[in-house]
Amino acid sequence: MPGSLATSLLHRLLSSAGLLVAVSVVGFALLRLMPGDFAEVLLSAQMDGELPSAEALAAYAADQGFDDPLPLQYLRWLGNALTGDLGVSLITGDAVTQEVLLRLGNSFILAFAALTLSLVIALPLALATVRFRNGLFDRLSAAVAVLGMSIPNFWYALLLALVFSLTLGWLPSSGYGTWQHAVLPTLVIGTSVCGVTTRYIRSLLLDEAGRPYMRTAAAKGLTPLSALLRHALPNAAPAIVTLAGLQLARIFDGVIIVETLFGWPGIGRLLVESLLSRDFPLMQATFLVIAVGYVAINLLVDLTVAGLDPRVREAV
Amino acid sequence: MPAGLRRSRSDLGYRRVVLRRPGGVTLLAVMFLLLVLFGPQLAPYDPTLTDILNRLAAPGWDHLLGTDAMGRDMLSRLLYGARLTTVAALAVVLVTAAFGTLVGLAAGYGGGWFDSLAMRFVEGVSVLPALAVSLVIAGIFGLGLKAVLIALAAVHWTEYARVVRNLTVVERNKPYVLAAQAIGAPGWRIVARHLLPNVGGPLLVLGAYSLSWVILAFAGLSFLGLGVEPGTPEWGRMIAEARSHMRSYPRLVLAPGLSIMAFVILINLLGDILGDRWRVDQVFSPNRNQRNP
Repeated sequence: MPGSLATSLLHRLLSSAGLLVAVSVVGFALLRLMPGDFAEVLLSAQMDGELPSAEALAAYAADQGFDDPLPLQYLRWLGNALTGDLGVSLITGDAVTQEVLLRLGNSFILAFAALTLSLVIALPLALATVRFRNGLFDRLSAAVAVLGMSIPNFWYALLLALVFSLTLGWLPSSGYGTWQHAVLPTLVIGTSVCGVTTRYIRSLLLDEAGRPYMRTAAAKGLTPLSALLRHALPNAAPAIVTLAGLQLARIFDGVIIVETLFGWPGIGRLLVESLLSRDFPLMQATFLVIAVGYVAINLLVDLTVAGLDPRVREAV
Repeated sequence: MPAGLRRSRSDLGYRRVVLRRPGGVTLLAVMFLLLVLFGPQLAPYDPTLTDILNRLAAPGWDHLLGTDAMGRDMLSRLLYGARLTTVAALAVVLVTAAFGTLVGLAAGYGGGWFDSLAMRFVEGVSVLPALAVSLVIAGIFGLGLKAVLIALAAVHWTEYARVVRNLTVVERNKPYVLAAQAIGAPGWRIVARHLLPNVGGPLLVLGAYSLSWVILAFAGLSFLGLGVEPGTPEWGRMIAEARSHMRSYPRLVLAPGLSIMAFVILINLLGDILGDRWRVDQVFSPNRNQRNP
């Protein structure tokens, strides 16, 4: 059916937009639900923690529009956010938009490097476990996957830092600037998810390995490995891309802690910093940008899958 | 993380060894439970008692695992930490399981607008990175222990709602439910007496896996300085405080980290055993049904 792909894409776009609206409402509402008067919190932060007088507070609230109805305040906030004004930091008094976007870029570098690393390790491993199914290597990889799931990320990061930077002195333990700084964080996040990724790709490949076309491939004389590479892998590709998108969620959770630990100026560390310094506008902006980036990635994954799989391309 | 990924590791391998003899894991779990219950009685010292003269003492007869930078006994701190982690994580899991199951049953059995609304919401939450969302929620509620528990619960109940809803939709049209409807049983009775017991097994399995996630997240948040006060005998916090001595005294970082890891592995293995018992693989990952033996 011509046009149905466009309809389905439109549907995806609309539901992503709906999700974003919901996230922005939650992001806005959370700060207003906060214990204490929001205007008072903001003003007293600007006055170095002193409690403002009632008149000053009233004047400030009127000036900033805190007396307006909440829906109106929400729309104003949303309008500002859409035009690139995400608010002003309580601590520095600077506009936060540029900082937040810069940090987001740094995090993306780390997240994609980690995702790439985990896939580069996991794909060949998964192929090997399927080729030599139930062998020693297969069982070993299952045990490693449990280990990867059960190890606390921050502790694993500390251990790697202890070995590679404090003991061996090969890599810097903290900071940003050269490529060496990115190695340890990437290694931590990438290897911590690659065990689970391997198992998942393995089970996707096994789904394909039992299908009739694989028997045909074997009958016409393909070796098991080339049958896997030429037939099973392309058929599993859309599911693997979906998996990679899902793994980004896990990777992003890891990024928050690992950035904080290695002093990498990414958005996860910014979120933690804004929390600990109780810089609420910055926290709100950071959260909004993370959520938008997230929904965008999910959409991108869906579109990639639709593009990769002719069945989806035709059928939806 | 989606539950589908969680199940995928468990086809064979180590699982074959564990599942053939679940007694070993069960025994370990019972031993761990005893440690949690009687930890404070077993602990040789007060976990917050500082002894500056004995700071950073090596493991020995006085202090089996040595002391930390404040001269506090490591073994006692680990034992108290086990209880704190277990109680906190169990509280989160029980509350989220109860709430999520309620929503899932209502959505799955009732259907209609509540179903679509609830599932939209669940889908929306599960798309966002869980730790980032819980950080923000914890930040708004004030970074204390209560705030962290609320935050973890707020992002976690959706998993239960989704799984229970999908199970309920399948069970809803089975003969035993139709029979109950035919004799005129009220909806709440069908849900409580017939549906709930039939989704109970998979729920237990999900509970085990989510317990391990909550433990890791709780330790991670404490490590970042949220939740517990400085100096509290909590595993994540202990690692954070031992960081500056990591190079000369790696054991201060190793001991709490190994404790977390052992605990989480144990719970994951228990989850595998439960999963095997109730044959719930297909619940968590539908595409596995199509696989040939």
